[in-house]
Amino acid sequence: MTTAALVHVVVSGLATGSIYALMAISLVIIFNATRTLNFAQGEMLMVSTFVGFTVYARAKVPLVVVMLVAVVAAALLGWVIERVLIRHAIASTPFDVLIITLGLSLVLRSAAGLTWTHDEFPFPSFFGDRPITLGPVRLVPVSLGIIGASLGLMWGLWALFTHTRLGRAMRAVAQNQRAARLMGISVERVYSASWVLASVVGALAGVLIAPVIFLSSKMGLVAINGFIAAVLGGFGSMPGAVVGGMLLGVIENLAPLYLPSSIKHSVPFLVLIAILLIRPGGVLGRPARRKV
Amino acid sequence: MAPTLVVEDLAVYYGKRRAVDGVSLTVGRGEIVSLLGANGSGKSTTLRAISGLVRPARGRILYEGRDITCAPADAIVAAGVGHVPEGREVFAEFTVRENLLVGGHTVPRNDVTERLEGAFGLFPVLYGRQRQLAGTLSGGEQQMLAIARALMTRPRLLLLDEPSLGLAPMLSREIFRTIRRINATGVAVLLVEQNARRALRLAGRGYVLETGHVVAAGTCGELGEDSRVRAAYLGLGKPTRAP
Repeated sequence: MTTAALVHVVVSGLATGSIYALMAISLVIIFNATRTLNFAQGEMLMVSTFVGFTVYARAKVPLVVVMLVAVVAAALLGWVIERVLIRHAIASTPFDVLIITLGLSLVLRSAAGLTWTHDEFPFPSFFGDRPITLGPVRLVPVSLGIIGASLGLMWGLWALFTHTRLGRAMRAVAQNQRAARLMGISVERVYSASWVLASVVGALAGVLIAPVIFLSSKMGLVAINGFIAAVLGGFGSMPGAVVGGMLLGVIENLAPLYLPSSIKHSVPFLVLIAILLIRPGGVLGRPARRKV
Repeated sequence: MAPTLVVEDLAVYYGKRRAVDGVSLTVGRGEIVSLLGANGSGKSTTLRAISGLVRPARGRILYEGRDITCAPADAIVAAGVGHVPEGREVFAEFTVRENLLVGGHTVPRNDVTERLEGAFGLFPVLYGRQRQLAGTLSGGEQQMLAIARALMTRPRLLLLDEPSLGLAPMLSREIFRTIRRINATGVAVLLVEQNARRALRLAGRGYVLETGHVVAAGTCGELGEDSRVRAAYLGLGKPTRAP
């Protein structure tokens, strides 16, 4: 196989990996605040993207507006879900919240099917489809666009978490909720902010990936690979989520070149098992430690 | 002028277990009051109820005359109560500077730099360790950081839970000197301390808790003479058999 073809495969792997990474980040944001997994992350992404698409289909607005609509819808959805469903269950065990989000994912998928049918819709892309040629290497703008936009978003999140009060408060809550309360941080407000932020990151990932995998009620399944990416990187770690996502995307794309192509969909799980055998805490994970 | 803190008939339950049952105490303006008692006598729980971490089942808590009994913890911090918890609970994955910044969460943005300078002025050792992760500090440094972090909001009441726990004698002396200095700036202190002798030397008055009740109260001179206190906490008054 030529180097050029290899570069092509790796770049498109990084593009898918960026989406996995964004999904992983969304899951980690919610996990760090509320110590629970949000199984509905993918469906929240799907619904927000559909809302944006509906506006696009009705009014033919520019894509930037579609994205903004999806973001606002996602923020609203995240806020409402946290306030109405999660906030009251948080006092009980994390398992209750887990089951609630699992149920929510099924409800959202059915509701989306009822509203928008279970068909696949082509979604407009920010990026053209004329390949960019760099010497022997041909790259698809979609891949580069997804990678660039995702990296930009990740940088924005990094700035939020390290340089703003809200971000610092979120990280403080992740480390020690009681101490965070003693600092005058409203932990409840951090819960809200975490759900809104995770939902918004998901919506942006949705708008980026929808042109590639088509818009459909099933597109939320991408969150499963996001979850695997988060575990790969070491669950709870943001840089880990990015590394895990990229790693998974590239391996998933490379594997069919060397292995039977039918294996592609089991690759994420094989990678997960392999890495967890070598490093049980994930690539950037810390050794397991229980918080009291 | 209302006293800094008035606790009336406070009761706190953990499930069905009574942790605090009918505790009343007062901290006057600028006073140091110590709370003595064995492990599990309800000292920490009393502090947690005051700072809003646990909800009292009964009783009233007044801060500067205002009822804060069921106020959320963040409102109580904003009102001017700082709580340095048992075991310091610094944010281990934050740098020293980030710990202080998060301590200033409720502080107006323009004042944060000034408060940071104040913290470094009180604890110069933290200045040189600004960029170090708090989890890598020694116990004494973590205690200083925990106190400095609580002072970022300029509280008028400081709740200190076992500040000398696990520290070498020299370091705990330094911590106690610092508490005196903080108090000299007008901050009232409610001090929970295992080392009763030292606590009584520092405080003006004290309360002794046993299984959630106040069993003795008075000035430190009086408590020092109290036979129960002498026996239980100062190791005096009763011959003790060598182990």
